Amino acid sequence: MTTHDTRPGSTGGADTPGPLYGGPDDDYTPEQLAALPPEELDRLGARYDGVEILHVEPGPEPGSPMEKRAVRQVGLLFALAGLSAFAFCVVYAGAGWFLPDWQWELGSSTFSTLYTPLLGLFMALAFTFFGIGLVLYTKKLLPHETAVQDKHDGSHFDRVTTGATLIGGLHNSGLKRRKLLTRSLVFMGGGLGLMLVAPLGGLIKNPNRGNPLGTTEWAEGVRLVRDDGTPIRPGDQVPGSLETVFPAVPGGNHLSDAATMLIRLRPAQQAEAVPRAGQEDFGYGDYVAYSKICTHAGCPVSLYEQETSRILCPCHQSQFDVTQGAKPIFGPATRSLPQLPITVDDEGFFVARSDYIEAVGPTYWNRERI
Amino acid sequence: MSTTNPQSDTQLDEGARRSRWSRRPAEGTPAAAARARRRSKQRRRLANVAGLMAGLVLTGALYSTLAPGAQAAPEGSESSAEAAGRELYERSCISCHGENLEGVPNRGPSLIGVGEASVYFQVHTGRMPLVRQQAQGPDKPAIFSDEEIDQLMAYVQANGGGPVLPSGDLRDGDLAAGGELFRLNCSSCHNFVGEGGALSSGKYAPSLEDSNDLEIYAAMLSGPENMPVFGDNQLTPEDKRAIINYVQTITDMPDPGGAGIGRIGPVSEGLVIWVVGVAALLFGIFWMGSKA
Amino acid sequence: MARTATAPGAPKTLAGRAALEVDDRLIVAGPLRRTLNKVFPDHWSFLLGEIALYSFVILLLTGTYLTFFFQASMTEVTYDGSYAPLRGVDMSIAYASTLDLSFDVRGGLLIRQIHHWAALLFVASIIVHMLRIFFTGAFRRPRETNWLIGVALLVLALVEGMTGYTMPDDLLSGTGLRIISAIILSIPVIGTWAHWAVFGGDFVGDLIIGRFYIVHVLLIPAIILGLIAVHLLILVKQKHTQFPGPGRTEHNVVGSRLFPTFAGKATGLLLVVFGVCAALGGLVQINPVWLWGPYNPAQVSAASQPDWYVMFLDGSTRLFPAWDIYLPGNYNIPALFWPTLVLPGILFTLLALYPFIERKLTGDTASHHLLQRPRDVPVRTSLGVMALAFYVVLLLSGGNDVIADKFDISLNAMTWIGRIGLIILPPIAYVITYRICLGLQQHDREVLEHGIETGVIRRLPHGEFIEVHQPLGPVDEHGHGALAYGGAPVPKKMNQVGGARRAIRGFFSPIEEPAAVQLEQAGEERGLASTDPQRELTSSGRPAEGGRPSEGGRPSEGGRPSEGGRPSEGGRPQEPRD
Repeated sequence: MTTHDTRPGSTGGADTPGPLYGGPDDDYTPEQLAALPPEELDRLGARYDGVEILHVEPGPEPGSPMEKRAVRQVGLLFALAGLSAFAFCVVYAGAGWFLPDWQWELGSSTFSTLYTPLLGLFMALAFTFFGIGLVLYTKKLLPHETAVQDKHDGSHFDRVTTGATLIGGLHNSGLKRRKLLTRSLVFMGGGLGLMLVAPLGGLIKNPNRGNPLGTTEWAEGVRLVRDDGTPIRPGDQVPGSLETVFPAVPGGNHLSDAATMLIRLRPAQQAEAVPRAGQEDFGYGDYVAYSKICTHAGCPVSLYEQETSRILCPCHQSQFDVTQGAKPIFGPATRSLPQLPITVDDEGFFVARSDYIEAVGPTYWNRERI
Repeated sequence: MSTTNPQSDTQLDEGARRSRWSRRPAEGTPAAAARARRRSKQRRRLANVAGLMAGLVLTGALYSTLAPGAQAAPEGSESSAEAAGRELYERSCISCHGENLEGVPNRGPSLIGVGEASVYFQVHTGRMPLVRQQAQGPDKPAIFSDEEIDQLMAYVQANGGGPVLPSGDLRDGDLAAGGELFRLNCSSCHNFVGEGGALSSGKYAPSLEDSNDLEIYAAMLSGPENMPVFGDNQLTPEDKRAIINYVQTITDMPDPGGAGIGRIGPVSEGLVIWVVGVAALLFGIFWMGSKA
Repeated sequence: MARTATAPGAPKTLAGRAALEVDDRLIVAGPLRRTLNKVFPDHWSFLLGEIALYSFVILLLTGTYLTFFFQASMTEVTYDGSYAPLRGVDMSIAYASTLDLSFDVRGGLLIRQIHHWAALLFVASIIVHMLRIFFTGAFRRPRETNWLIGVALLVLALVEGMTGYTMPDDLLSGTGLRIISAIILSIPVIGTWAHWAVFGGDFVGDLIIGRFYIVHVLLIPAIILGLIAVHLLILVKQKHTQFPGPGRTEHNVVGSRLFPTFAGKATGLLLVVFGVCAALGGLVQINPVWLWGPYNPAQVSAASQPDWYVMFLDGSTRLFPAWDIYLPGNYNIPALFWPTLVLPGILFTLLALYPFIERKLTGDTASHHLLQRPRDVPVRTSLGVMALAFYVVLLLSGGNDVIADKFDISLNAMTWIGRIGLIILPPIAYVITYRICLGLQQHDREVLEHGIETGVIRRLPHGEFIEVHQPLGPVDEHGHGALAYGGAPVPKKMNQVGGARRAIRGFFSPIEEPAAVQLEQAGEERGLASTDPQRELTSSGRPAEGGRPSEGGRPSEGGRPSEGGRPSEGGRPQEPRD
């Protein structure tokens, strides 16, 4: 209050204290409050918050065996928590210093295998001991009180007065009468809203340009190669085998839609094979090639059961029969796996005769239109 | 067992016990040769132990003289192993696979062309002889001794022909490349870590946890039951060894992050969070809420 | 202010003076006292939501740590870290940095695992909390808003979990991402456009991990944080619900104050939740991405599943029949669309709207602060159990291949068990639950009317044997109890009414002497009734309406506003003072 200034035009205030909050401060002078013991003050404050302490069951008698036992228990737990925390630090920092190295590698020491479990164990013990100690503390050493707090419903007075303020403000704005303003505001709001959303348009791309969903890297004369890029001859596989093949293009083995299963049927399978109509010549001898991408949700289907001729998808258990043009015979898939037409080139290696004649992978809205 | 470890002999014994090699086969049989080769691989890893080199050379010599002899027995003159194998065959296999390995319709397939690899896999894993006709023969303790298996293998190989068992170190392959091949060719049925998985209509891909190297190799070579065949032109012997190296490394590997809970991912994790996590906390809050 | 500073009772200690300085500037003493005095009910089930809150705290802390090391990039690199089985393999930077985080950062694996376990716990505790709210009717007016926020939080938690699951770009999560891509594609009309917008092109592109990353670490956590804040503010404003019981009315909350009892327990719970997550994170391996391998669209593993909280959608997808709908013009709606988008849409909408549906059906528009016991609302309880049965069938079907494998059941049979179970189990669950509710209700009434079965058999003079019943209150001339059911648990054993010793404690074996229990019981004269004769029970449950315990107990007479005299709070104009 040393900046006190009462000259006219100055902003200094009067030296007399302003009113306090009123309410309780008017009811209880500082002198009165100072005369009350802390427990009374506590209860008094609680009453102002609508809380009444109905019953207090005091904690254990100071110095009683019960208290001593509880204190010992809680103290022990806190000490154990501290011990565990320090043990954590010792393991954490000591590994590779005075303890064996922590870094886990194939065939490295048992300690490195136990490093994470040890850290977790000590951290868990530290937290849990501390937590249990704290709960025991409140349960065994603190007084138990039963308190009741009042619940207030909304105040009618508040509603009416707040409503009046809002309505008054709205009325003063005159928006009801000034139609031009309302309309221009609506217009502006729409415009601004659109403007704020518009930059998200950067996310939008045309999925139909170049038909990326309907085509793959397979094309006429593209060789079927293994993961390591080696081409395949018809003599390489034995009957009853499956090989995952990729188009011989750069990065072909990481394309998301090109993986293909090259299957050599057993004679018995071949005998009962019923290819899809119009695709009878897609295979080559006893070889058939089907897309590995499930027509349901796009998982790689390759759980090939060579005796039952089924291919199972591990994600949703759709099952396809390779002797029936990879037709779905169980599960949620609806379409056959697309078949890749294959033949053998001049050098005796498998090549594709064309791209898949339908879109591979999961179904989508306009799939049939491409 | 892929590590350079002075205790590899103990480990070998463990591996032997796990793969149910209940007793030592007679020297000179292919299984024994394979076993010897396995041991020789273990020892080679102790390359600096000069004393073992002699054993290695000896074993190699033993193999090179005996193994081809067992396979290249001229037709007509049946070796003693084949004769014993025929006896075993006629006692235990003939009712389903026929008098001349030709198979019996609706009972058992022809064994012509399946080779000793298939015999080794089927009999050594206890899948054959079948107890009863079912969708898939379960693996169980082998009924035949290793010697008897060798005899059966010799008989079937001599009369039907087909893929033969490999020689040399079956884990002699690039670990990371084996992993890639495993994930591309095997994990779809056998799971990321060889835990196995369900197939259609009650069939399943078995866990690879307890399989020995030779069994895995023989399985790839022969394509037992519903497993596709991985011929040597498709997965080269080096590829197969790389895969075996990866599978066995992964199966033997400890889990650095604590208990592996089956290594099957979200299902067991979900079970643990409910049965352990949520249950523990429910117990906790129940205790907190109770009166002192 | 000057007055307090110089007034008697002005603080003399350093802490006190510091507090005064703070309050001089921020005026927090009033609000702080109100907060400290807030009364929390004692029932254990009120702590369920806190478990979710604390898991979220763990997620924020550990997640921040993980961002120091994780790089959300899909650029291909060749791994050269300390995990030998992948050395030399091409992978995305996201996957490589996850491996480095696990193997080359001291303690990184622990934090990563804690983060993942806490995520599983977060969703699980949200669901358990929600079940408690549902079955006790705590969502009723005026708490519909908080119910809606809760449902929103659940959905956000699922999306957050799903984006986090995708982060490491491993073979398992990549397969999940592939399915997400297929789901987006399956949306009618806009599917391909939506896919191109989300992925920036065809699957998989090189943007998606980066996009999911920012959604996972910023966008959704911020929304969740905001919603939690609103959730808690509304809770404080509306105050807790409570179970009916002695002295508990629609207009009060009985329990203990925040400080110190409840604060102690809540902090204890926070620490225990931390402890459980740390224990799981250290001792149980979760999502070992090094075993899964990097994502490659041509590779897959048997038993590929999402984390458990999305598993019910995987289950619905597995069970859904192969029904593509073909429309004129060669358009079609893929089968995938229904179980993955329509079904959860319906489920979550029903869940969100349930309070309003129930209000419409029952016509009960009143405010409720007292909870209901599930048995007293058999229809709601049965509906809940029915929904739960539906959910559990879907959840189990999400792991049906693992169940088939581990229990030697045919996979195809599991699918059919799921399909049939999904249709017939929920109604069965409804009927059974309904009957159980009615039975429990009836037993409550019976005990109130006839008293507790004592197990004492008496032979009457004419030879009839009867069991002696202990009435719970005054009886009429026929010996029937006059107590009405009040929605509170009815004691059904003699030791619950003090007629016998309380049970000896001990889980497997007794941990206390029977004599000590007797002694303790002898000196036990506690409870609301003993301190306040006015509040004695007139029924077994709630006391007569309007029995507000604090009425007349205020320090200031004449209806002074209770909140320090601010008219907005008290609502009544102050009386003129002298």
